[in-house]
Amino acid sequence: MTAIKVENLHKTFRIPHEKRTTIFETLTGVFKHPTYETFQALKDINFTVEEGEALGIIGENGSGKSTLLKIIANILRPSSGSVTTLKKLTPFLELGIGFQPDLTAAENIKIYATIMGMPIREINDKLDDIIEFAGLEKFRDTKLKNFSSGMHVRLAFSTAVQTDPEILLLDEVLAVGDMEFQQKCLDVLSQYRKNGVTIIFVSHDLGSVRRFCDTALFLHKGKQIALGNTAEVIDSYVYSGNQEEALNQINDLEAEPSENKTPRGKDKKIEVTNVEFYDKFNNKGARFNSFDQMTMKIFYNAYERISDPVFGIAIYSENGENLFGTNTELKNVSIDSLEGEGHIDLMIERIPMLTGRFLLTVAVHTHDQKLYDWHDKQYSFNVISTCRDVGLFEVPCNWKI
Amino acid sequence: MIFKHLKELYSYRNLIWQLSWSDFKLRYKNSILGYFWSLLEPLLMLLVLYIVFSNLMKIKVEYYQLFLFIGIILWGFLSRATNSGMLSIVGKPDIVKKIYFPRDIFVISSCITALLMSIFESLVFVMFMIFYRVPVSINLAYAPLILVFLFAISLGISLALSALHVFYRDVQFIWQVFMQIGFYLTPILYTIDIFPKNLQRFILLNPIARIIISARDTIIYSSPAKMNDLLFMFLSSIVLLLVGYIIFSRLEPRFAEEI
Repeated sequence: MTAIKVENLHKTFRIPHEKRTTIFETLTGVFKHPTYETFQALKDINFTVEEGEALGIIGENGSGKSTLLKIIANILRPSSGSVTTLKKLTPFLELGIGFQPDLTAAENIKIYATIMGMPIREINDKLDDIIEFAGLEKFRDTKLKNFSSGMHVRLAFSTAVQTDPEILLLDEVLAVGDMEFQQKCLDVLSQYRKNGVTIIFVSHDLGSVRRFCDTALFLHKGKQIALGNTAEVIDSYVYSGNQEEALNQINDLEAEPSENKTPRGKDKKIEVTNVEFYDKFNNKGARFNSFDQMTMKIFYNAYERISDPVFGIAIYSENGENLFGTNTELKNVSIDSLEGEGHIDLMIERIPMLTGRFLLTVAVHTHDQKLYDWHDKQYSFNVISTCRDVGLFEVPCNWKI
Repeated sequence: MIFKHLKELYSYRNLIWQLSWSDFKLRYKNSILGYFWSLLEPLLMLLVLYIVFSNLMKIKVEYYQLFLFIGIILWGFLSRATNSGMLSIVGKPDIVKKIYFPRDIFVISSCITALLMSIFESLVFVMFMIFYRVPVSINLAYAPLILVFLFAISLGISLALSALHVFYRDVQFIWQVFMQIGFYLTPILYTIDIFPKNLQRFILLNPIARIIISARDTIIYSSPAKMNDLLFMFLSSIVLLLVGYIIFSRLEPRFAEEI
């Protein structure tokens, strides 16, 4: 059975150049035609969510994810198109909505639970459980303003999870709080999944989306780019931006005057002209999923015949730590001789980095370390995590008991 | 459409009550003497106005202190309900932007909070009634009906003001001036008899004037409410509620964007 149906949904915001907020301004400005920009936040969104299904919505900041969620929650209204919800909807767009600092914990729980749609009898029954779950038994009658922010979140969370949703809307709730809290959230989410709650989940954390969602929707600048199997949609998300970004990057490089490069003297016999990164679909880009395949193409131009050159690379973290370096000599690859333009490729079968921006140094030199050309940290690529491990690199490992 | 909306509001009755009651508690929680202060305010006003106007008034009014007190309480309710109702939407931007329930619940619950506060003040009025041994009659039964009309009128005005105030932030200043003028144009301090007949008709266009006069008649003076007054109050409550509701529901879809 269908739980949510979104058809031909459009949302346009009007952003006036000069906002009139008073009757006075409206009267004095009656002869001036108000000017405004229109901003299309969502364009032609169509999807359905079946009962018990979990849909993840992914996309960059400003892609319209939150707007879409707010329209489904009936907070914003669509400019055209329709949203049909056939079940009771519980939005978790923010925890602790309507908390009053001057009321006690118990009073706040009652109000918040009522806002979340819990019947009054159930609230009274569960009040002690909620306070116990939050670990705030001693502070039951303490005013909320005396609570720490951590206690605040715990109170809100333990109240929110008591609701019995049919459709759950989640917006980045998991992004707040420490590791322990995030784990708690994920546990609750798994529980809801087991109970067959329909979930719409907006997140930047691709790992969680991959783990929890059957299907995913990828939005880009308000347009629906991909909808379907989570793994495929995540791939298209990670690699879609590549073409655009690659173009930007090339422009950057070209625009950048070569002042910090070694001067291109006539004496330079061979130089590195460019480095390009290719993803597993063989598209050029600078953004990669961790653990995916990547190819670096190092383009060179040899002005004369060079025999036995050595190509090398070094990867740096954004802080400038040297993470890894290798060259053709170390890998026992010998190049007899080169002349003219060409490229040499470095294949990385499985990117071990988890997340972050990485800088690349490329060099070409002779066997006895005499430098032909050296581009220090002039290239970069980004890695996006799709798992929930933390750190810079994956260390292959297994747990055993 | 209105009936469907009323049904929806009924399903949210717990929320309306929770919001009203917690707001009521909040008003007084900040000071231990909170309840005491809230009584002191109308009493002081009553005292000052009584001293000034009992000497100024040419016509002797029976139970003038009670006459004045009823006016202050009823006008105080209108003023409190419309002012807090007007600010009820813009005062809760975090809720309006993050969760949906019918937005008029904010307005309704702030009017109920105002009602709770006025009922609380009326306890002192009841003590005054007992103290001065004012006889009560069966005509007191009209009083609740009159209060229902007053509540409906206040709610209707609040609905319109709260929605307009989201878009025009100077509505509150305009309304304050309006209420100030209204206070003197309504027979709160004086009896309507001090005016010539043709001016009286003009003053009676204000439904609040009829509400205050009828409330005095039925509560203090043991006389029945006039039928044409009741009819006028009834019609003006219906009209104001409808107008308020229409303005509110027209503007309501854009609240979350404009707030």
